[in-house]
Amino acid sequence: MKTVLEIENVHAKIGEKEILKGLNLKLEPGKVHAIMGPNGAGKSTLSKTIVGHYDVTLTGGDIRYKGKSINDMEPEERALEGIFLSFQHPVEIPGVNNAYFLRTALNAKRRHEGKEELNAAEFLRLMKSHLEMLGMKSDMISRSLNEGFSGGEKKRNEILQMLILEPEVIILDEIDSGLDIDALRAVSEGINKMKDGKRSFLVITHYSRILDYIEPDYIHVLKDGRIIKTAGPELVEQLEDKGYESIEEDSAS
Amino acid sequence: MTPDTLRNKSVEELAVLLGTDVREPQLKKLHDLGLPSKKSEAYRYFDIETLLCREYALLDYIPKAIQESDHVEIVDGTVVSAPKGMRIFYEACKHVEMEHFDPLYYLGHLLSPHVITIEIDGDAHVEIVHRFTRSNALINYRISLENQSNRHAIVYERFEDDAVRDTLVLYGYDMRIAPNSTLRVLKTQTLHPENYAMVASHNVHVEREANALLKSFDFGGGLGLQMLRIVLEDHAHVEAGHLLYLNSESRRGTVSQIIHKGEHATSSQEAKNILDGHSRGIFDALIRVDHSAKYSKAHQNSKAVLLDESAYMAAKPQLEIYIDELEASHGSTTGQLDKKQLFYLQSRGISVTEARKMLVIAFANTLIEKVKDSRQQERIKEEFEKAFYTVHKKDAS
Repeated sequence: MKTVLEIENVHAKIGEKEILKGLNLKLEPGKVHAIMGPNGAGKSTLSKTIVGHYDVTLTGGDIRYKGKSINDMEPEERALEGIFLSFQHPVEIPGVNNAYFLRTALNAKRRHEGKEELNAAEFLRLMKSHLEMLGMKSDMISRSLNEGFSGGEKKRNEILQMLILEPEVIILDEIDSGLDIDALRAVSEGINKMKDGKRSFLVITHYSRILDYIEPDYIHVLKDGRIIKTAGPELVEQLEDKGYESIEEDSAS
Repeated sequence: MTPDTLRNKSVEELAVLLGTDVREPQLKKLHDLGLPSKKSEAYRYFDIETLLCREYALLDYIPKAIQESDHVEIVDGTVVSAPKGMRIFYEACKHVEMEHFDPLYYLGHLLSPHVITIEIDGDAHVEIVHRFTRSNALINYRISLENQSNRHAIVYERFEDDAVRDTLVLYGYDMRIAPNSTLRVLKTQTLHPENYAMVASHNVHVEREANALLKSFDFGGGLGLQMLRIVLEDHAHVEAGHLLYLNSESRRGTVSQIIHKGEHATSSQEAKNILDGHSRGIFDALIRVDHSAKYSKAHQNSKAVLLDESAYMAAKPQLEIYIDELEASHGSTTGQLDKKQLFYLQSRGISVTEARKMLVIAFANTLIEKVKDSRQQERIKEEFEKAFYTVHKKDAS
C-alpha cells in the first residue's frame, strides 16, 4: 500500500498529560480518511501533532511525510512541504490584511518550490476566482484576517486558503462545526474541488453529516489516544446507530 | 565644550560660561531646573549623564544663502535649501515658554539665541530634512514654526546623517498653531547605536479651535528622547501618536506634558512600543487638566510588545485633574506577541521572522495607517522594515 503520511507508534503529550498513546495511521494518496471518536479521544491533538503545534510534545514514535521524518521540522517547513491544517477555531488577527496574508503565504510556497512569485494583480485574479464558488463576499479579502468573521465565514476562509495554497495533505479539524446547511455545502464543494486522485484528506469530525458531502474511503475510530478500528464508510452507520462503545478494537491496532 | 561643566553653577557662572546676559530669564530657568541627571524625573530612564559628560566641539552657525529645493534641508543646524517662496529666516525667538519642564529646552535656547523661523504658507505640505555631518560635535538649533489661521498644513520631518560618531543633537520646535487651523507634524527617524544621540525638546501652543496632530515614528537603536510640552486653549485639540521600534541597547521614547488650559479642549495620546534586544522604551506622559479647562476630554494609552526577554518598557501614563466636568481615561499594557496568531501564520508556510514582522506591523498599523499620504505611509513602513531586518534575518526572495 502506498502512503503519503505515516504515523507510527506516536506518543504525545500536552503539558504533563499523555494524549496520544502509541497511535498508528497511514494516509494513502488520493484518499479521504475520516477520524471519528468520542470527546477527549485525542482527535485535535493528532492534528496538532502532525503540524507541529507548540502545545504538543512528541515523546515517542515517528511521523513520516513522503518517507521522510518530519518530527524535527518547524510548522512553516511542514506547511511548505504540503501539509495543511484547517483549524477548528481559526484565530483573528486584527491589522493583518487577509489578501496580504494569503499572498505572503502563497509566495513563500512558490519560492520554496522554485517558482516565480505572483504580483498583487495576478494574486487578486486568482483569489477572486475562488471567492464566488465559496459564496464569500469580495470585501472579505480586504478585511483583517478573520476579524469579525462569523463562524461560517472563518471556515470558508480556511477553505479559500486551502484552494490557493494547494497542499497535498489536508487535515480538516471539525470543519463542519458551527456551519449552517448552505455553508456546509459550500465548504464541501470547496473540499471536493480539491480531490484530484493525488491529494489526501484527513477529516476529523464528531458527526457523520460532513461525510454525506465528502465521501470517505476509510473511517478510523480514535479512542484513548489510539486508532482502535479502521474500516470502510459502512462503519459510519454502525457508529450512528450504536455509538463508540459498540466498536471492538481491531486485533492489529 | 563638556555640557556637564554647567552643572551646579550659579546664575552668574552660567552667564559667563554660556556668554550670555546674566539677566536673561532663560538662564534662571536653567539654573532652577538644574542640568538633568539620572535623578531627574524626566530623564530617569535615559542615560543623559553619559551624554553630558562627553567633550564636544561647538559649531559656528553662519547663515548661508538658501538654495532652491523641493524641501527644507537643515545641515548641522543651518538651513541650506528650501522651496521657492517659503519664508525662512533667523531671528530672536518670540515665544520662549517659561513653564517648560525640560532644562535642555532652556539650554537649547541659550546656545541658539537666534532660531530658524519657518512660516508655513496656506495649506502647504512641507518636508524638512535634518542632516548631520559632524562627529564629536554638539549640534544645537531651534526652530520656530508658524502656520496661518483657517489653514491646514502638513510637515513631514526626517533625519539623515553621514555616519557621524559621538555627536549630540539638541534641537526642538517652538510651535504656535494658529486659531482655527490644523497643523500635522509627522516625524520619522531611524537612529543607529554608534551615531548621534538626540534630545528634542519641543513646545507647542495650540490656539483656540486649532488642531495639532503630532506623530513620531522612531526606529532602530541609539539614544533619543523627545520632550514635549503642549498647551491647549479653548476648543483646541491635540492628537499625539508615538510609534517606537527599538533594538540593540537603545534607549528612546517620549516624555510629555499636555496641559488643558482652555474649556472644551480635547487630547488623545497613543503610544505603541515594540521592543527588541536589550532596548528600553520610554513613555512618561502627563496630561494635566487645569481649573480653567472645564468640559475637557483627555485620553492616553500606551501599549508595548516585547520581542526579547531582555527588553524593557518604562511606561508611566499620568492624569492630573483639577476639575470634575471632564471625560478622561488612561492605560498601559505590556506583553508579548500572541502565540496562537504566530502559529497560525507559520502553519501557512510563513517563516517565523515574517510572521513576527506581520504581527508587529499589525500592532503598529493603527498609527501608521493614520498617515493619509500613501507615499509617506509606504516610506514609514519601509523604514520600519529596514530596522526590523537589521535584527531578524529576512527570507531569501
